[in-house]
Amino acid sequence: MAAARSRPRPEAAARRRFVLLMLLPATALLLAVTLFPFLWAFAMSLTDLALTRPGQTRFVGLANYADHLASPDFWRAARVTALFTLLAVSIQLVLGVGLAVLLHRETRGAWAWRLAFLLPMAITPVAAIFTFRMMFHPSIGVFNAILRDLGLPPVDWLGTPGMALVSLLIVDCWQWTPFVLLIAAGGLASLDPEPLEAAEVDGATPWQVLRDHTLPMLAPFLAVAVVFRAIDAFKTFDIIFVLTGGGPGVATRTLNLLAYKQGIEFLSIGYAAALAIVMLVVTIVAAQLFLRRTGFFRPRAAL
Amino acid sequence: MTIIVPRGLRRPVTRRSVLRTGSLLAGAGLLSAAGLPLRAQDSGIDWRQAAGTRIVLAGLQHPWMDAIEPLVPRFTELTGIEVTVEKQSESEYVASMPVRLGAGSAVPDVFMIWSLGQAISAGWLEPLDPHRADPALFDAAWYDEEDVFSSARSFERWGDGQSYGMAITAEAQTMFYNGEALEEAGLAPPATMAELEEAAAAMAGPDRAGIAMRAKATGDAAPWTAAGFIFSHGGSIVTLEGGSGLLLPETVAGVETYGRLLREHGPLGIGNYHWMECLNDFQQGAVAIGCDSSNFATDIMDPSRSLVADHAVFGALPAAGDRPAKPNMWHWMAGINAASANKPAAFLFLVWATSPETSLEAAAAGLATTRSSAWSSGAFRNRFGEQAAEAALANLQAADGDLFKAAWFHPRGPEILDAVGIAVNEVVTGAADAETALRAADAKVSAILGG
Repeated sequence: MAAARSRPRPEAAARRRFVLLMLLPATALLLAVTLFPFLWAFAMSLTDLALTRPGQTRFVGLANYADHLASPDFWRAARVTALFTLLAVSIQLVLGVGLAVLLHRETRGAWAWRLAFLLPMAITPVAAIFTFRMMFHPSIGVFNAILRDLGLPPVDWLGTPGMALVSLLIVDCWQWTPFVLLIAAGGLASLDPEPLEAAEVDGATPWQVLRDHTLPMLAPFLAVAVVFRAIDAFKTFDIIFVLTGGGPGVATRTLNLLAYKQGIEFLSIGYAAALAIVMLVVTIVAAQLFLRRTGFFRPRAAL
Repeated sequence: MTIIVPRGLRRPVTRRSVLRTGSLLAGAGLLSAAGLPLRAQDSGIDWRQAAGTRIVLAGLQHPWMDAIEPLVPRFTELTGIEVTVEKQSESEYVASMPVRLGAGSAVPDVFMIWSLGQAISAGWLEPLDPHRADPALFDAAWYDEEDVFSSARSFERWGDGQSYGMAITAEAQTMFYNGEALEEAGLAPPATMAELEEAAAAMAGPDRAGIAMRAKATGDAAPWTAAGFIFSHGGSIVTLEGGSGLLLPETVAGVETYGRLLREHGPLGIGNYHWMECLNDFQQGAVAIGCDSSNFATDIMDPSRSLVADHAVFGALPAAGDRPAKPNMWHWMAGINAASANKPAAFLFLVWATSPETSLEAAAAGLATTRSSAWSSGAFRNRFGEQAAEAALANLQAADGDLFKAAWFHPRGPEILDAVGIAVNEVVTGAADAETALRAADAKVSAILGG
């Protein structure tokens, strides 16, 4: 027994070699397209690299980070990003779970509903967003035409700070609620129906069953949805870029939009890289905290 | 960053349109003694020197690309140089080009320059004067530089005296009026800013706002049109001495006028209007007055997409008080990638594309080129609209290119204009008064100009 442990059996060694070999391509790919660019971006964030000053790049340490943290633009963008993420994820969670529960009970035509709800995810985002831009148009857009037909006053969808945020949320929810719906529906289908039936037999109302039994059992699935959606919402770019460009004023200028402006428009690559690294750190820390606190992904002793 | 996205050239050059140009030219006495236009073959340039090479032309969806692309086979026939055309949407182009050029890519060889100051300071553009001095590459007499608008020639000169690009279009800030609304109100096109405000109020109706101009808070939106108002009031964004002009009383007055016009007489949601919304509203008769690039004439005069095609009136930018109006202007330019491996071929392409002969053909399809001869051609005036062409020329002549260049061609122009865009937007939406908004922008711009 002891001898066997100190000297691996030939088949075990072969097996390990095989595993390593199989892992190699994916690991190499990950290093090339994730880790290397990340390290490169981090290195750039420590310099004052600007494409408009070729050959004059200097190492500046953490100065870019200090500049961001001292800049009112950064904090304003951080507030807008946090608000957008919080609202988008909350609304999508409520709508997605609600629709999943309704469709779960429905048997006739549920597939057609599910298909219809999933369509927004299948449409090319930027094409859909440009269509929304025309639909939001205050004088010739379809939304205000509908309001006018109903005898209601027209709305300035993208021109005031408050409504611009609401309009962005409408589009984001239209596009991403189906994602939450998909995960929640999958979760519901995999739940053990016995405790739910037992609760019903015991006389619980449908609402009580949902609140006290279904939702707690569904929670690990929803945690996945929340993490994915929060990360995505945090770095939303296309919707804001096309619909408001960060305006009116700077009302919808998020951190990602700020990084784009600094990097691609102003060509201040070092400064923009620092912002991207800050966003990455915030994302990782927030996701880790969320997962640790909820504890849904801790390996269970029983398993 | 891009300043304007003129659109509209949809009609390809046909044999008939070229023939028509020829006959009109004969009438205008613009033909050589032999009865033919001055042909490229008649120049001293060695067109075949790079035969067999292939160059890549990159640009955005734009009337210039639309006009040049169908003519490219003639360039290949003349020179033996193959041309691959790469066309992207404006946002894609502006986002991808810095990445390509910043990485030192040798492709594309020729590209449309979206931000001259950035491109020059980043070292992406090949200086053109050495090529111009080579008699095998350039024939000044045949090229006829005197025929090119002086504003275009001045655009091509950078602060170091070198030329890094060739101007390919000419555009000026021009007023558009809904002719029916003008008639109903019993008004003539306004000559002063005060009259413009009165007209905007008088021409509005239940389903029609008074005036729409760009107000979106981005560097490529609000600043370009607002600048015409700033310059006309005697102000500037960046002064000719290189300082911030944002707190000059004249600048504040210009932004205040621009903001008040749109706040009081603009359509609902004006705060998010880029050129696309402005143009749509004007074409659909939803606003009475517009003010943007002269190139919009081809869209406005297109009856298949514009309800005002038969009664749109084009005019000069009104003057602020006793000062002469100084509308904003713009020449798109194309240049050669400093890392290109085919520089002589690329230069031949630029020379051919901006030559009198090619300009005439492009103008026949409605392109607003940089050449007087092309602008005065009957084919161009037919396609572009006689009155629109007159107004565009008047505004081009009134424009002050130096004020434009001081801000837009600054190496950090995009950052400066971003700050101005936010300020103008805030004044339009009423979030801040002109002085407060410009003070915030000035803090940023002064830091940029000082550092």
